[in-house]
Amino acid sequence: MAQVTKTGELGIVTTKLDEAMKWGRSNSLWPLTFGLACCAIEMMAVQASHADVSRFGSEIFRASPRQADLMIVAGTVTKKMAPRVRRLYDEMPYPKYVIAMGACVIQGGPYARGYSVVLGVDRVIPVDVYVPGCPPTPEALQFGLITLQKKIRGETNR
Amino acid sequence: MDSSGWTELNIGPQHPSTHGVLRLKVKLDGEIIKDVEPVIGYLHRNAEKLCEMSYYCDNLIYFDRLDYVASMIMESGFLEAAEKVLDIEVPERAKWIRVIMSELSRIASHLVWAGAFGLDLGMLTPFFYCFIQREKILNIFTEVCGSRQQTNYMSIGGVYQDLQEETITHIWEFLKQFPEKLEEIYKLFIKNDIFFSRTKDIGYLPKDVAIDYGVTGPMLRASGVPYDVRKDEPYLTYDKVNFDVPVSQKGDVLARFVVRFEEMRQSARIVKQALEKLPDGPYFNPKGKKSLMIRVRGNGEAYSRVESSKGELGTYIVADGSVRPYRVRIRSPTFKNLSVLPVLAKDTMIADLVSISGSIDLVFGEVDR
Amino acid sequence: MEDTEDKQKTFMGKEYTLGKDGRKIIFLTKDEFLPFMKRLKESGFSHLSLITGVDRRDYIEVVYHLHSISTNEIVVIKVKTKDSRVPSVTSLWSSADWDEREQYDMMGIIFEGHPNLKRILLPEGWIGHPLRKNYDMDTPQYVNMDEDGEDYVTFDSGDGW
Repeated sequence: MAQVTKTGELGIVTTKLDEAMKWGRSNSLWPLTFGLACCAIEMMAVQASHADVSRFGSEIFRASPRQADLMIVAGTVTKKMAPRVRRLYDEMPYPKYVIAMGACVIQGGPYARGYSVVLGVDRVIPVDVYVPGCPPTPEALQFGLITLQKKIRGETNR
Repeated sequence: MDSSGWTELNIGPQHPSTHGVLRLKVKLDGEIIKDVEPVIGYLHRNAEKLCEMSYYCDNLIYFDRLDYVASMIMESGFLEAAEKVLDIEVPERAKWIRVIMSELSRIASHLVWAGAFGLDLGMLTPFFYCFIQREKILNIFTEVCGSRQQTNYMSIGGVYQDLQEETITHIWEFLKQFPEKLEEIYKLFIKNDIFFSRTKDIGYLPKDVAIDYGVTGPMLRASGVPYDVRKDEPYLTYDKVNFDVPVSQKGDVLARFVVRFEEMRQSARIVKQALEKLPDGPYFNPKGKKSLMIRVRGNGEAYSRVESSKGELGTYIVADGSVRPYRVRIRSPTFKNLSVLPVLAKDTMIADLVSISGSIDLVFGEVDR
Repeated sequence: MEDTEDKQKTFMGKEYTLGKDGRKIIFLTKDEFLPFMKRLKESGFSHLSLITGVDRRDYIEVVYHLHSISTNEIVVIKVKTKDSRVPSVTSLWSSADWDEREQYDMMGIIFEGHPNLKRILLPEGWIGHPLRKNYDMDTPQYVNMDEDGEDYVTFDSGDGW
């Protein structure tokens, strides 16, 4: 996409509609307020003053899945919760994206040996970006978000 | 009682105001709540079973993740019991460091609660103010152990790493600015008329009901019972510091709010005294080294209780002479505090349910374990 | 209540041993259990702190931690049961309600007289009680939700998670 300097006048940018859609989508990802466990507190920290996720266009955490397009699965998904996670994902409108936050969500984490934890949320819903850590720092989650934005725009990380 | 016209309403498990994965089955007569049935277990992570399956020193990580906003207190609760079972002494300096870290953790936990409680009631601003202060505490935690939230700092026989001079100056810096900022946050809440009318005289919990249901912590103290484990059965070095136990006779949501804020002030007071009294000496008992821990056998049984930010945290460890605990049982305060919700919410308006459940300070890692 | 303590090591007429943490442990049989608990409640132990089931393989030990807020004392009551049945104390302490449900869920202890004894943490239909020592950890169970939003448990990994 072409870039112009801001002069205050209404400039004209020529681009493909497809590119413009991707650009718009990637910079207004509205996450679902969906905290499961420990990582949810770090997700709140991302929202709060120090990390401030609104710089990347994701400040509005929607309480309803029907208004959200990004699901940050933050915290251990148990077997009792997994059908609900699936239902919430199904209720979100397309296009929708998923960030798996934390070791528990990726493969069970410290609870992998137990009986009631789903070994990875990717068994329940498709995942776009994995953010490892237990819990990941707010910076790590922001990096995950930027990676997702790049993925939406079709760029690579390199 | 005629229940034919009642509406059944399902709240949760995904709901912004339930602080996690609480599900409430509510029966309504118009807007009046007639019956609430909390459904829990959506975060049941089999911590007790995993504790039985792992070595004593590895149990700590599951305790870290019980009450994930105050993980230092959870660690000290487990270690109180585990060190009795394993017959390991803790050096004096380590005890003081544990007190400092527990109290900082309590402040952090109450700040998260205050921020989230504000969000429940539709106030966005206090959330940001609370998290600025919490970030400062988390920076201190990062300095001492490298992790922000699930610290894993304390270990059997002491603490993992000594408190450096630099960290102590950082704690002093934090304490210097904290009281003023706390008053600022307090005023944001208390000078707001909407906050007042949504919390005053709502969710009244009588003294005898609270004791009957096993409610502890700030909730019990807000109902007029001055029960605090730190005073009644001093563990670590709590008998050597001066602090007051805030008690309110009102028993409503506002009283719980005021009690928690006063606790933060008292915690800051304890940290100050502990920093002044911090003795020199070893911070770790070499008997508790991790390479030795996989061979140390525990025997007997011990029940310890500590005052967590939510209430009385009890840890009951039964050992059978092997390197792993035979049974670990956690008395989680919020599990008991949540069980009183049907009593609190009966015959109140549906809009107040959010305020009442927010005032319990729910953390689901601990309720479901 | 503790008048005979120094002479005989008895507490309210029952012999006790001291645990490693210095708390009094009293062993009761199932017959004398409920009357003694009633006496404890009347003598000021108003706070039932914890109910624990310990699976000793050939029997189950149910441990009650009772706390008196006025005298700040904790006594530990232990009851052995071979058929995993003990009388419920919900009529004495309301806090026993959830604790007993949890111990039923995790240990399979049946509390006789409990008004609403069903699983609390795991979904209804879960097979086995996980904290039993003979619980089969190798056969995973999966949970799914039916049309009405109720959980059901299955062994088929394709049907649930």
